[in-house]
Amino acid sequence: MHIPDGFISPQTYLPLYAVAGVAWVYGARSLRRQLDADALPTLAVMTALSFVLMMLALPLPGGATAHAAGIGLLAVSFGGWMGFMAISLVLMMQALLFGVGGVTALPINALALGLIGSFAAAGCWRLLRRYNESVALFLAGWFSIVLPAILIALVLGIQPNIAHDANGAPLFFPFDLSITLPAVVLPHLLVGVAEGVLTVLGYRYFTRLRAKLAR
Amino acid sequence: MILRQFTAMAVLGLSLATSAGAHDLQYTVGGGQASVISLFYVDNTPFSFESYEITREGEKLPFQVGRTDARGRIAFLPDGAATWQIKAVSEDGHGLEFKFSTDAAALLVGADKPVVDRYSRIAVGVAVILGMFGFLSLYIKRKRAT
Repeated sequence: MHIPDGFISPQTYLPLYAVAGVAWVYGARSLRRQLDADALPTLAVMTALSFVLMMLALPLPGGATAHAAGIGLLAVSFGGWMGFMAISLVLMMQALLFGVGGVTALPINALALGLIGSFAAAGCWRLLRRYNESVALFLAGWFSIVLPAILIALVLGIQPNIAHDANGAPLFFPFDLSITLPAVVLPHLLVGVAEGVLTVLGYRYFTRLRAKLAR
Repeated sequence: MILRQFTAMAVLGLSLATSAGAHDLQYTVGGGQASVISLFYVDNTPFSFESYEITREGEKLPFQVGRTDARGRIAFLPDGAATWQIKAVSEDGHGLEFKFSTDAAALLVGADKPVVDRYSRIAVGVAVILGMFGFLSLYIKRKRAT
């Protein structure tokens, strides 16, 4: 889902770099307060899992591809800020070291997948866990993918209105909202199901594992 | 008089035929030296029927625009030595941008390459993440000890 370079106008990514910068500084402070050496191995494994998931494309009906991201699992296990920082790390590595997802698109990807995705999942988990843990985990995973997809579709779809030449031809991403919303969001309703299942199974597995190790 | 009218009609007819000829599209079929660019996802799924544009470096108007074929390929016939920028984009926000060069004979001489191939990327990425968290763990333990 993450956007490559050349699709986003400077009018979009420069202000969003400022917003993401503030969020990264706040997230780093929050990380320093919350970080526990005992929790680090699990956080490391989940971050690595998220990296692997983002590198593997799932084929979708119609020939498109998408990927799960592990955002829900990170957020329900470690909270919104930790999830945001871990996903930001994964996106930075992909953009800077491997050319997957753009450097100019990094703030949008980080804010959409990392911040919105993590806080949607963490909020869903906190609100619903008292009623039904499995449903809460599933919905946390589902929203962690679907809400970022909507945001990314909106950012992509407004590019032709924001940046175009004198004749109205788009300078960056060429498709408008009428195309990006269904093209991005509809496949991610399905990917969200995979992410929801991953969150349920992953959370249960890591909870059992931590209980075993604690004995 | 009749001869003069006939000549005028003939000249008018010929001039109309000539201008109509400018709208009559012709074609030739022949072989040529094309550079073939293949676009595909990490799992080798082709980037099929997606739009792309190829622009000569330093120019604003694209040299070639179109859609990839069923196998995610673009056949490109450059017209000389240049650096070309290719931008391919799908409606759902996937895509890429890279450069390649051709020589005076319009033959491919080089292209941007990914730093690491796709399978190595995953292994390298996981190793880097685990390594970073390892260092972070050591830092926290040292901080606690002091």
